[in-house]
Amino acid sequence: MELDLFIRYGPSLLSGFAVTILCWIVGSLGGLVLGFVLACLYRFGPAPLKWFIFGYVEVIRGTPFMIQLFILYYGGPSVGILLSPVQAGIISFIVYGSPYFAEIFRSGFNAIPEGQIEAARCVGLSETRIVTRIVLPQMLVPITAPLTNFFIILTKETAILSVVTVPELLYETQTMASETFTFVEPFLVLSIFYWLMVIGTSRLGAIVETRVTRHLRRT
Amino acid sequence: MAQDQTHEPIIKVRGLSKYFDSFEALRDVSLDINRSEVLCLIGPSGSGKSTLLRCLNFLEAYDGGEVRLEGDLIGWKSTTDNPRKPLKSEALRRQRQNIGMVFQQFNLWPHLTALENVAEALINVKRMSKADAQDKARVALAKVNLSDKERSHPANLSGGQQQRVAIARAIAMEPKVMLFDEPTSALDPELVGEVLGVMKEMASDGMTMVVVTHEMGFAAHVADRVAFLEKGRLVTCVPPQDIFSRTPDDPRVDAFLKTYRERNVV
Repeated sequence: MELDLFIRYGPSLLSGFAVTILCWIVGSLGGLVLGFVLACLYRFGPAPLKWFIFGYVEVIRGTPFMIQLFILYYGGPSVGILLSPVQAGIISFIVYGSPYFAEIFRSGFNAIPEGQIEAARCVGLSETRIVTRIVLPQMLVPITAPLTNFFIILTKETAILSVVTVPELLYETQTMASETFTFVEPFLVLSIFYWLMVIGTSRLGAIVETRVTRHLRRT
Repeated sequence: MAQDQTHEPIIKVRGLSKYFDSFEALRDVSLDINRSEVLCLIGPSGSGKSTLLRCLNFLEAYDGGEVRLEGDLIGWKSTTDNPRKPLKSEALRRQRQNIGMVFQQFNLWPHLTALENVAEALINVKRMSKADAQDKARVALAKVNLSDKERSHPANLSGGQQQRVAIARAIAMEPKVMLFDEPTSALDPELVGEVLGVMKEMASDGMTMVVVTHEMGFAAHVADRVAFLEKGRLVTCVPPQDIFSRTPDDPRVDAFLKTYRERNVV
């Protein structure tokens, strides 16, 4: 192993890591928010909207991320959508993740016993308050694990952004590999970076899970 | 005028009907509930007593007839529209604040402590400050003898304690009427007494109560009137001594009570 390789390529690997983290955080948090909105509209919206959301979920979930990214980045200009690679990457990442998040939230809504919602209606709580005060806090119990899981899956999905030349981790690693004809070292570094993101996410998920299940512990 | 109002029934039910798809859950039920009265609803399972109770606060949207609380039509804008239009959620919420409800399964919010369960609607519906709401919630918890459990979460309370918190949650809102949907049916036998005790106390404090129950002892001793339902119809609504006498007028009531008599409950 040649250590000076890492000194030479360190900055570009680190910048790749930073871009990966940026796309991952903005893209997955955006997807989380969009997914939550979709799940709320699906639950509370009028019937035609439900069908639209159902279709959206089926289409986005039913097609590969790479194809969605290609369509946005290469097909976009023909309908006047001109985006930089990073912009296209983040937007498609948000779109790609949103139906999965929506499904997690949908199952979370379903997990709250109807009786608790009826009890809330009986004391006059508004539907919005019921969601924010009764449903959401409890929903976190069943959805924290699947959310953590999906955030972890998304860490590695960022690698696909390299195909539209987003200068993220895989892109920089491949550049290093092709310029130096080394493979073990760059991909070892790449694995460590992904592993750091995954381990961080799962630790954070565990902390959140402990917090949101506190009330269920018998004392 | 004010005096007239106290003699008027607080709730008037007229020609109430309710369908679940093609199943007729309630048929032409008419009933008055007087102020400070305890009315028990009894009958075989599936007879429509819970459905009737749930129509009173519009948890079930009734299809025909009307429910009025102090003259105010519950749930619908009017009975003459076809199809009927439901009230705006704001208006329905205002009506529901006058009608407390206690459920068979307690339905406490498990992520909140006993005190928070009681204070929640005081803060977010009555718009009280947190401190005032908690003071009021403590008074309500004291009424159900649970002052020492205010910091406990439902998971750490017995069924009887949970049901008493649920009662405190409802009475803290100072409703005009309290609805109880089989409040002791999910409790271990030794915990039934503490809940019924609290309910008796409420009755003697003059609360108007409508109670769906299988506790014939409670119906016999606490109720002012007992309504017997069968197959969605109100068969009779009379003082308890008339229904629990050895020879009720109606053979259907007799058949129903026989199952209790055989176990020496009544």
